Amino acid sequence: MHAIELENAVKTYQIGEVETHALNGVSLTFAEGEFTALVGPSGSGKTTMLQLMGCLDRPNSGAVKINGQDVTKLSKNKRADLRREKIGFIFQFFALIPVLTAYENVELPLLLNNVKAKERQERALGLLEAVGLSDRAGHRPDQLSGGEQQRVAIARALASDPLLVLADEPTANLDTANGAQAMEIMQRLNQETGTAFIFATHDPRVMSYAQRVIELQDGRVISNGEPTQ
Amino acid sequence: MTFKKLWVIAYRDLGRNRRRSGLTMLAVALGLAVLILMSGYIAGMVDSSISDSILLNSGHVQVRAESYEVEKASLEWQDLLGNSSELLASSAGIEGVKAVAPALWASGFLNTADETIGVRVTGIDPDSSFYDPIRQGIVAGEYLAADDRDGVLIGKHLADDLGIGAGSKISLLVGTSDGETDEDIFTVRGVFATGVLIYDEGRVYMPLPKAQAITNAGERISAVILLTADAETAYPVAAALRGPGRSVVTWEDMNALILVAIEQGMSFYYLIYGIVILVVAVIIANTLLMSVFERTRELGILAALGMKGRQIMTMVLLEAGTLALLGVIGGIVLGSLVVWYFSINGIPIGDEMASVAQGFAMRSELTTKFAPADVFGLSLAMLVIVLLAALYPARFAARLEPVEALHAL
Repeated sequence: MHAIELENAVKTYQIGEVETHALNGVSLTFAEGEFTALVGPSGSGKTTMLQLMGCLDRPNSGAVKINGQDVTKLSKNKRADLRREKIGFIFQFFALIPVLTAYENVELPLLLNNVKAKERQERALGLLEAVGLSDRAGHRPDQLSGGEQQRVAIARALASDPLLVLADEPTANLDTANGAQAMEIMQRLNQETGTAFIFATHDPRVMSYAQRVIELQDGRVISNGEPTQ
Repeated sequence: MTFKKLWVIAYRDLGRNRRRSGLTMLAVALGLAVLILMSGYIAGMVDSSISDSILLNSGHVQVRAESYEVEKASLEWQDLLGNSSELLASSAGIEGVKAVAPALWASGFLNTADETIGVRVTGIDPDSSFYDPIRQGIVAGEYLAADDRDGVLIGKHLADDLGIGAGSKISLLVGTSDGETDEDIFTVRGVFATGVLIYDEGRVYMPLPKAQAITNAGERISAVILLTADAETAYPVAAALRGPGRSVVTWEDMNALILVAIEQGMSFYYLIYGIVILVVAVIIANTLLMSVFERTRELGILAALGMKGRQIMTMVLLEAGTLALLGVIGGIVLGSLVVWYFSINGIPIGDEMASVAQGFAMRSELTTKFAPADVFGLSLAMLVIVLLAALYPARFAARLEPVEALHAL
């Protein structure tokens, strides 16, 4: 069974009278523990595909299956449950909650999953240590650099020990050094935890970290690279 | 997710834009303070009008002849009480009675060289403690002695209007029991000020024997006035006094006009209460809606992390609740302080205003009275309405689609 599967997924957006085809019948499968890059120019459908896989949106037709379960027909609440338990997100704009400290941001998914206090603390501190931010646990996002914020976001994405982490342009707002550091951390955690990482990017340096590279253009898969390692 | 953590996020969200949160809380506090002041003003007005009317005019209970009509101030013998000394003595013996006083009322005209003014002449027993407020209110001259045969007391407004004072001679034309009039010259023995316009501008007091003589009422009186230990005691006392040929009325019957007017006036005050609360509710809804719009992407992130709509809704309602609660506490403190200040210093409403309330014992300066039940009710109403107003932004936040919220600027 595949960790995640797209079956002829079609997504169109209606903006005014203009219909935009974001995904034109994409079928793909992803195994557990993959480290995959989705590449392609802007408007190729990378973000749309991540949103469908992340249960943030539904396809117009076709199916999205997570662990064999078709998630397209699930209610809003059920999809929220699924995201909370099985999916981690890393966004281009870091997306930390500004009123919470780094520790509290990492702890948030655990709180949402009703994890007990002691376990929450151990896990959140462990993840902050794993991304090299133990000493920044009490800082709020506005007291952290961009690179540090994205590392907190990585820790948060892994907090609930998800099946997969979806990252949309995770290094787009980082300089080269911080971008490389974020990618190295994600790669290491992928190997250590077995969590699948699927990230959208058009940065060639980021692609080089991927085991598998899927290329999209105009909402279609034009190249489905097999895992390289 | 624990409620406590949602509250922590809500509380910290309020700290993001402190000026906005502070101003919103201030709006709640000022709104509630205004309502508390209004309720204190109303409570003070109701309390003083009724108590002034009881202490300076009606007493708690009155016994009259069955045919007596107050409006006519009839002096015909069949409308008056005879054998008053027996009734006075038996009334004084009833448990709960604090003071008993006879009264004879007559309509009259007070004449000076320049002016004639209609007055109500009251024959009183100057020794009765019921007239203590008049005795204590003497501002010029002296109080009446029971055997004074040509002295009268007049109110300060009346004295000022006529340009007379203690020691002045006045001519008093009074209706008599046979339907005629009689006139006599009196000396203004003293001038009193009760603070209540209708009593200070239209009353003339003289000893009962003199009033009985000038009105040709013989030994008769218009009524026996009783003061009881408190308002509730009036009912059993009235019940004990009822008998054939007598009409016994309580303070509630005698002040029915005031009570009805207050009740009717309250609907206007409720309207003002409603408007103030509504304005505050709109401010809260606007603040929260702005706050939700500003945080749309963040709410999208929370939704992406798996936070459910009802949890997001709870979070926004907690923000509203915190704002409202702090505002309400501030409003209670502020409103109570203002009510306390005006309960000591009074709010001058002026003679013109007081004279508008015809038939009312309205003071020219009103003191407020803290009404705990009203304060509790208004605070609770404010909290509930604010939370109801917050439902719209809260539901808006809860219904955001994560994918759309994440793309918001």
